[in-house]
Amino acid sequence: MSNESILTGPIEVSTTQKITLINGQTFKKLTEASLIWLKSNQQIVNSLNVFPVPDGDTGTNMLLTMQAAYNEIINSSEENIGKIAKDFAQGALMGARGNSGVILSQIWRGFSRALDSLPTLNAELLVAALAESRNTAYKGVVRPVEGTILTVINDTSVAAKESAANTDDLVKILEDCVVAAETSVKNTPELLPILKTAGVVDSGGKGLFYLLEGMLRYIKKLPLDGVAANVQELSAMNLEDTLDEVEEGQDVEVVIDFTPTSELNLDLFYQELSKMGTSIQVGEGDGMYRMHIHVEDGRQQEPIAYVGSLGKWTKIAMENLRAQMEGQKANKPPYELMPLEPGQIAVVAVSPGDGISRIFASLGVAAIITGGQTMNPSTEEILKSFEDLPTDRIIILPNNKNIILAADTAKSLSVKDVQVVPSKNIAQGLSALLQLEPDGDLEAVFEQMKNAITDVDCGEVTIATRTVDLDGVKVEEGKFIGLSNGKLVVSDKTIESTTLDLLKKMEVDKREHVTIFYGANITESEIDKIAEKIKKQYSEIEIEIHEGGQPHYFMILSVE
Amino acid sequence: MSTVNNPLGSIYISHRAIASIAYHSALESYGVVGLAAKNLAEGLSQVLVRDPVLGVEVEFENSAVSIDLYPIVEYGVRIKSVASSVSQNVKYRIEKDTGLVVDRVDVHIRGLRISNSD
Repeated sequence: MSNESILTGPIEVSTTQKITLINGQTFKKLTEASLIWLKSNQQIVNSLNVFPVPDGDTGTNMLLTMQAAYNEIINSSEENIGKIAKDFAQGALMGARGNSGVILSQIWRGFSRALDSLPTLNAELLVAALAESRNTAYKGVVRPVEGTILTVINDTSVAAKESAANTDDLVKILEDCVVAAETSVKNTPELLPILKTAGVVDSGGKGLFYLLEGMLRYIKKLPLDGVAANVQELSAMNLEDTLDEVEEGQDVEVVIDFTPTSELNLDLFYQELSKMGTSIQVGEGDGMYRMHIHVEDGRQQEPIAYVGSLGKWTKIAMENLRAQMEGQKANKPPYELMPLEPGQIAVVAVSPGDGISRIFASLGVAAIITGGQTMNPSTEEILKSFEDLPTDRIIILPNNKNIILAADTAKSLSVKDVQVVPSKNIAQGLSALLQLEPDGDLEAVFEQMKNAITDVDCGEVTIATRTVDLDGVKVEEGKFIGLSNGKLVVSDKTIESTTLDLLKKMEVDKREHVTIFYGANITESEIDKIAEKIKKQYSEIEIEIHEGGQPHYFMILSVE
Repeated sequence: MSTVNNPLGSIYISHRAIASIAYHSALESYGVVGLAAKNLAEGLSQVLVRDPVLGVEVEFENSAVSIDLYPIVEYGVRIKSVASSVSQNVKYRIEKDTGLVVDRVDVHIRGLRISNSD
């Protein structure tokens, strides 16, 4: 057997040299190559996810499983392939993550069982081991779904058997296996309709392909780190998610559509691009390519110039990711709406400011429409706010008399069961909201809310925009005015005196509770001072202070 | 029985319907070889059931659904991973197919099937 070589240590063979026996240490090197190659391509596998929930990150799950398996043998100097494979399989089993990880661990379990402590692996044994991998994998499920990693291991084991009938060269068999796995992966959408709909191939199958390809690349001395030159379907490119991957210094996103003048050398293309930036993706459809890259600010011309040298570009899009991310942070609503269970009563409230929105949200409002005295939301905005809610039972709190009409129109236009509580102000809206029973009867809850709004009076303190004599009150432009339930009742020189006067007119001494929502144009300490004064004058009354954040109105007072 | 209201009337989804979805999605999960009866004596608890209702317990709490499953799994798989992917699978399928919210899936592994030993 002069032409046989037992592979040990670094592989020092040319790719044409035959390998017919593999021992434990070579197995270790090959699995390490698998692991590294899968790690390099992890994101590609993750991006193939179809289900939003089960096994959402196949690439990561398979990688963690492989890592756990490799950790079992990382310090092993075992020459016996059967023994080392057994440890490896044990590690895979212990570290199996997610559905695909569990299947992968079964594949290794079957593989190692077939080796049965034998010292070396030859072609015949490889065929038997892959067959056992396949069998063990299929045994784990009552209803094997085809078009998944199961199909790929099946096709691979069949290819190994066919190949071994002609050769005892393990490299040739592995080559055939890689080709078979690739073909099998490409065919998965034909077997599993959900993949076809999503325009992707099976992620677990693709992961298994990378494991096999990693071994082959190692033998052929191809690099294992760096992203694989990979072309996706244009429709499958998911560029939105790349925002999560922005690295420090890679602040500009460049997307270029182009048609190369000659056939694109993908490996070279990736190599050149990876010198310029990160998050490289390439898509292809009908001869047109789309490339995506994140580069440093100031280097955005480089990919453009490079692509320009390869062919004709049709579209270039650029975005400053840093600014975009900061913008996203700034635009976050300052409140969190409570999740609505399907079928529950959803309350939609109009709110004039962030603080009040926050209070509404904490009381269980399902949607908030920004608007109020000076910016009335349209019927369309109101409709839009509840159309997508997972329920047909809606209550609208307009919280302003000028919005009630728009809300009524929204009610008549919607196919949903809508009731409008005619709340004319925030105070009424809040007391109505306290009557909410999400699982109650819509009519009954609506009636309760309607009754609740009559129990509460609303005072408002703002500034006069013109000189007027209204309802017997003389008002000068720039002076402060107080309104009771929307009606002008007092006007004075300071906020404090106006507020106290207003409360007097509202006969607060006969009530129990005053809630103050202070606006965006007044500070907390000013409000505290005024509240002190109110407390002195009306010692019997409970006072609550909240930041309302509303524009124009210094204070909205809810009097109960 | 769960009720979903729509403008034309109500939709009723029975325990059995939900149990069937849970049963089939559990069987499609890797590592599960079958479901055992939920309330049989210990000695019989390894017997696989064919009727979904026997292997799945469905409860309605308010408008959310709670599921209890009693699977038998293949020997040699990592039970924790299988159980968590079964519960995710079942939750996903029920929510997708019925529009109901699943707030709890408890997986009680009733036993292992040993088809071949290492």
